[in-house]
This record gives sequence, structure tokens and C-alpha cells, in this order.
Amino acid sequence: RCSPSMDTNPVKESFQGIKGAIQTKDTLKNVTILSNLHSIKPLDMCCVTRELLEFYVERVFKYREKLSLQISRAVSSISNSFLALQRTVQPCKEHNLCPCSEEATDATRNINNNYEELEVQSAVIKSLGELDVFIAWIDKNYHQETSTA
Amino acid sequence: LADGVAVLPAPQNLSVHSANMKHLLTWSPVVVPGEIIYYSVEYQGEYEILYLSHLWIPSHWCSSTKGPQCDITDDITATVQYNLRVRATLGSQTSAWSTLEHPFNRNSTILTPPKIKVTKDGFHLVIELEDLGPQFEFYVVYWRNEPGAKEHVQVVKSGGIPVHLETMEPGARYCMKAQTFVKAIERHSAFSQAECIEVQGDAL
Repeated sequence: RCSPSMDTNPVKESFQGIKGAIQTKDTLKNVTILSNLHSIKPLDMCCVTRELLEFYVERVFKYREKLSLQISRAVSSISNSFLALQRTVQPCKEHNLCPCSEEATDATRNINNNYEELEVQSAVIKSLGELDVFIAWIDKNYHQETSTA
Repeated sequence: LADGVAVLPAPQNLSVHSANMKHLLTWSPVVVPGEIIYYSVEYQGEYEILYLSHLWIPSHWCSSTKGPQCDITDDITATVQYNLRVRATLGSQTSAWSTLEHPFNRNSTILTPPKIKVTKDGFHLVIELEDLGPQFEFYVVYWRNEPGAKEHVQVVKSGGIPVHLETMEPGARYCMKAQTFVKAIERHSAFSQAECIEVQGDAL
């Protein structure tokens, strides 16, 4: 299985600085976008990681106009770190080591559906606010993997 | 002049000097006799270049600075390409932006061999490494200075703290050298010069 070394520290540092401000802006408290990550099987980790990195890069980080300078800076830092993480995962796909099972495809489709059910700005704020869920999931699965490898 | 109005020239000769993950943007100063010129620096990372090309972000420390230089270390937070630009301001006059000719990537930073200080704490061999910041780890190689001696390698996670390496044998001479490793850019420096130390007493 492909388990690249995922340096999430820069993302955590940047997110820590804006977490409170972002999560306060999230007014839809009873809804989540990143659902069921905990049920992803080890074999599907690479696929879901790749899909979620793309989800954030393509659908979340672009919408910054209404954010403060401090938040915009942090989101810039996070989005550029995501580009670097995408390049870390890319070789796995190129070597066909990043398969997507039906369950993985369903899981990422659900996440995109959750996003689409909300108005864009609300969906962006909620997705940004749930970055800690995604990063914790990466840390748990990749660093636990490398530490037991 | 433009339509009879004095136009402030844009800063020239932008360049980035980067060593040990500290990045300094410099440029040639704009000179107007008797006047103080202020400069604004902005950046965009590769994400902005690809997806939000209209978006430039004011530098952390240099949204209005006097010196013809700017520490952009806190702006460059990922190992991707960054565009940088500078403009000059004098009162209500603002120059055009000058953009760095080639995008900057922190993986081009110069990594210098670390300074090392070798001491002994009784019979204990101790090394202290230069504190270069949280992004730096160190590989320390040490050996007993005699023919056929085996080299030992120890990873030291941070500088500025004495690290006990080994208990020395009386009368023996020990040497060591070190290099830095920066995980964020997956690169390491050259090794430092070897330094040796001897502990008194009769060899066993």
C-alpha cells in the first residue's frame, strides 16, 4: 500500500491560528460535510486522501474574497501546503497504488453532496472549519502507519 | 513625468537571498532627495498563481517598510513556487509594481554546515548544535579516533541544547561532525568540519 510521508505540521500551525474565527462563522452547527471518515478502510486511505485534497483545492480554497486578511493569509498557507501534499500523493496514483473502491467513491461523493446542499459561502466556511477533522484523520492513518511500519 | 505629473519609479533589481530557511527579499532603493520612501511587498503562492491569479497577499512584515529589503520567511510557508512584488510610495504617489523575475521556491535555500561545540561532562561526550529553528534536525556522526574505529550516527531533533552522546574511555580521543536535515524541503547540508576532544586518564 502506498503511504507517503505527509507533513501536516504547516497546515496544523496555520489552521490553529484561524480555527476559532472560522468555526465561529459557521452558523449551521447541526450539519457536517466530512462525514464517515472514521469508517474508511486502510486500503481506501490513499484514494480518499487524494480525493479530499482535490476537494479542498478545487472547491474550498478558491473562495476567499469575504475573509479577513489574517484568515486569507492562513488559507493561502494551507492551500499551498495542500498543493505540496498533492504532489506527495501523486506518485501513488502514477504507480497504480491508489485504487478507489466503491465504498471510497461513495464516501467522497457523499462529501461533495454534503457540500452542494449548502450555499457556497456556508459550505466553504464549514469545510474550512472541518480541516482539523481531515488533518487528524491523515495524522492518525499515515503517521500511525509509518510508525508501525 | 506622465501628463506633467511626477511618477515614482518602481523598485528594481529584486532578488531573494535565502539561507537556512530564512528568506530575504531585496531590491534597489528608489531615491528622491530629501524624501523617505516606503515600500509594500506582496506575494502569491503557487495556489494563487494557478487558481486566484488576481489575488496578491500583503507580506506579514512589509506592508509598509522603509528599508530596501523584507524578511519574507513567514510568508513562504510551503514548498511551492511564490511570486513576489514590491512597489514604492511617497506621500500620495505610488509606483508601479515590480515583480521578481523568477518565482522563488524555498527548496533552493542554501543549507550551511551547522556550527558545533564539543565538550565533555566528566567522561561524557557532549555536543551542542547551532539553533537554526524548528524546521532543522541534525545528523551527528561520531567515532573514536583510532584505526578501524566504527562510526556512530545519532539524530538530534533540535539545536541549542547540549546532547550527551556517549561515555568516553579514559585516554581516548573522540571526533564528531554534523549536518542539518530539513524535512520540509527534503534536503540536508554538507557536514561540518570534524572536531575532536580527548579525555584525560590512562587508556584501558
